[in-house]
Amino acid sequence: VLRDFGVELPADTEVRVWDSTAEVRYLVLPIRPAGTDGWGEAELARLVTRDAMIGVGLPKRPQDER
Amino acid sequence: MNGAHDMGGVHGFGAVLPEPDEPVFHADWERRVHALVLAMGATGQWTLDAARFARENRPPADYLSKSYYQLWLAGLQQLLVECGLVAPAELAAGRSLRPAKPVRRTLAAGDATGLLQRGRPTNREAPRPARFKVGDRVRAKNMHPVTHTRLPRYVRGRTGTITRVHGCHVFPDSHAHGHGEDPQWLYTVAFPGRELWGAAADPTVTVSVDAFEPYLEPAP
Repeated sequence: VLRDFGVELPADTEVRVWDSTAEVRYLVLPIRPAGTDGWGEAELARLVTRDAMIGVGLPKRPQDER
Repeated sequence: MNGAHDMGGVHGFGAVLPEPDEPVFHADWERRVHALVLAMGATGQWTLDAARFARENRPPADYLSKSYYQLWLAGLQQLLVECGLVAPAELAAGRSLRPAKPVRRTLAAGDATGLLQRGRPTNREAPRPARFKVGDRVRAKNMHPVTHTRLPRYVRGRTGTITRVHGCHVFPDSHAHGHGEDPQWLYTVAFPGRELWGAAADPTVTVSVDAFEPYLEPAP
C-alpha cells in the first residue's frame, strides 16, 4: 500500500499498522523533515500533507517547496 | 457478520490509485447523501452501530458493486424502511405517498456544525474492573457472529499483546441490535505481522486493532 502511494522506506523501518476498529481515532504525527531547525508552527504546517497525517506519506521537505 | 466490508488480507483488488487533490465529494448527490445520513442519525431513531451494520449487512456482490456514498444511501434507505418512516412503495416511487411520521428529534441546519464539532463520545463509566492490563498476552476469539461485530476476521484465533487500555466504551455488538450500550472494556491489541500473515510477512510489521473485552481470552 505504501508503494501504491509512492513511498519507499528502508527495509529496516518498523511499520506499525493501526486498524481503527472502534470509535477511538488516531492521528499520525509526521516525522520532522531535515533542514527545518528553528522553523515555526506555520512554516512546518506547510510541509504537512493529508497522506502524511494518515500514515501513507512522508511530509514535504523544504526543497520540495521551492 | 462475515461480510465483504471485512476485507483485511483479501487479495485481488489491485493497487490503490491515489487521486491528486481529491475533492471531499465527487458529485453533488454525495454531499446530499452525507447530509441526509447525518440529519437522520441526529433524529435518534437508530444508533451509529445500527447504521454501520445496515451498510455492511448485504450480499458481497452488492456491497462491492457500490461506492462509498452509495453504501451510505443503501444503509439509510434500509433503516428508514425498518423504522417505518418510509414505505418500500415510496422508495420505488421516489416521493412520499403519505404524511410524514414524527421523529424524536430534528437537526436544524444551523446546529449541524456544532453537533459535528462536539462529536459523540462513546466512553462510559466502567461497570466492572478490567480483565486485562497492558502487557497481557491475549488471543482474539475464533468467533463468527451473524450479527454486528468489529473484530476483524484476520485477527481471530491470533495471539497479541495488550498495549493500551482505553476504558469502557459502548459495545457495538449490542448497540447495533437494540440491546443498549452494554459498555465493555476496550483495548489496543498489537499482533506481530508474522502471527497474522505467516513466515513470509515483513518482520518489522505490527498490526494493532482496538478490541472489546468480549472479543478476547487469555493467551493459552
